[in-house]
Amino acid sequence: MFDPKKFVEEMIAELKGSIDGRAIIACSGGVDSTAAAIIADRAIGERLLTVYVDTGFMRKGENEWVDRMLRGLGINFRLIDASDEFFRALRGVVDPEKKRKIIGEKFIRVFERAAKEFGAEYLVQGTIAPDWIESGDNLRDTIKSHHNVGGLPSDMKLKLVEPLRDLYKDEVRKVARYLGIEVSERQPFPGPALAIRVMGEATPEAVEIVRNACAIVEEEIERAAAEGRIERPWQYFAVLLPVHSVGVHGDRRAYGRTIAIRAVDSVDAMSAAYSKIPHDVLERISVRITNEMKDKVNRVVYDITHKPPATIEWE
Amino acid sequence: MRVYVIDNGGQWTHREWRVLKYLGVETKMVPNTTPFDELGEVDALVLSGGAPRVALDVERMGRNGEYLDRADFPVLGICAGMQFMCGKFGGRTDPARVPEFGKTTLHVDDEDDLFVGLPRQFTVWESHNDEVSLVPPSFDVLAHSDNCPVEAVKMRSRPIYGLQFHPEVEHTEHGYDIFRNFLRIVGEWRK
Repeated sequence: MFDPKKFVEEMIAELKGSIDGRAIIACSGGVDSTAAAIIADRAIGERLLTVYVDTGFMRKGENEWVDRMLRGLGINFRLIDASDEFFRALRGVVDPEKKRKIIGEKFIRVFERAAKEFGAEYLVQGTIAPDWIESGDNLRDTIKSHHNVGGLPSDMKLKLVEPLRDLYKDEVRKVARYLGIEVSERQPFPGPALAIRVMGEATPEAVEIVRNACAIVEEEIERAAAEGRIERPWQYFAVLLPVHSVGVHGDRRAYGRTIAIRAVDSVDAMSAAYSKIPHDVLERISVRITNEMKDKVNRVVYDITHKPPATIEWE
Repeated sequence: MRVYVIDNGGQWTHREWRVLKYLGVETKMVPNTTPFDELGEVDALVLSGGAPRVALDVERMGRNGEYLDRADFPVLGICAGMQFMCGKFGGRTDPARVPEFGKTTLHVDDEDDLFVGLPRQFTVWESHNDEVSLVPPSFDVLAHSDNCPVEAVKMRSRPIYGLQFHPEVEHTEHGYDIFRNFLRIVGEWRK
């Protein structure tokens, strides 16, 4: 079985040997990259700068949450607001693979600037197995280009270090619990963030809709879990569809957008079953979304597809 | 015990590596272009699944044929690995009448060594466009599903096994047991 203590000790020793100068680590505040940051910090200490990028696609309250969390860890970190740059780069882009590649490249450009200022030549990433498996290579088909693998530009100069490459999420959680960090139980959240939860162009307006919808899904599901009415699913979120449909609001015709709710149970993200969320929880989510965003959304659907054939995220 | 995973480019090849690692076996993933002689001393091979449509782009299956010709030890083919194996020994793979993705129920027809101690029916996870349409004359069918008549096969004269479903995936029930049974076959073969 997997021994997190042994893994951490071996990885610290390995990073001490392989990083001979300064490094930055790309940290989203999720389980993978935060665990990688702590391991790298233990290996090279002051020679490491942790960088969090606000892409503009983050969830409600995420920037503040991550700021507080990283502060609590007592590591050397920097928050960079690059939201204008990301929104600009995605203007008019609807193809999911193009979105992912543009986001991957933007991240690297931001990291390159931060690395230059800090004098770093290494980039540590919390890449885990599904990231490179699904990104594809000369043997494997590309299912989706994960921003930290398939989205890397070919002219990137930073040397990549990926200590968690062979691990899956359940193993990274064990590492995070062993390290005693609070992010260990956070639900997975993709690097391209809400940009890939908007089907079609990720405009600031569309991102705002899906941000609010995700917050409602999280609140209601976490409330039901806290009350012991359901097991908290592995991952749960909202997706904004490009579909408009007809509704009726106070005897007036409505014509609004559609939100899909997705909740899945998984261990490693490589296979997933849709969660059997009770109807009263789904109902609360639906009523809240359509009332609180009545001018935007008038229909809510629940995704009942496993992985395979679907993937967990829609893009 | 040393069991390598031949990487045919599957989404779950690395999962096979992980399961073998968890079961305490010395293992690594090896590209399917590796010559047999460069594999070194191994006690068994797992031929992984992969994106190739075996009947259509057989060249992407690399040296799987060479491994099957020369292996004097047990081999377990999974998904595309099994389809290739069946084609190699005189069978045939065609587009599945009903492709299966995700959850399916497996019916074990003959527990043989591979399904020893397991229920006759359990949930397995699938991901295949094609299926074995003609079983090689030297093989027996060990299991089927409602939509796919050939879910598990065994060669009668050699310890060569094939599975259409994916025992390495978390959502498959008894996946570890199937690998344990295979490793027991490998252990007995070594004696």
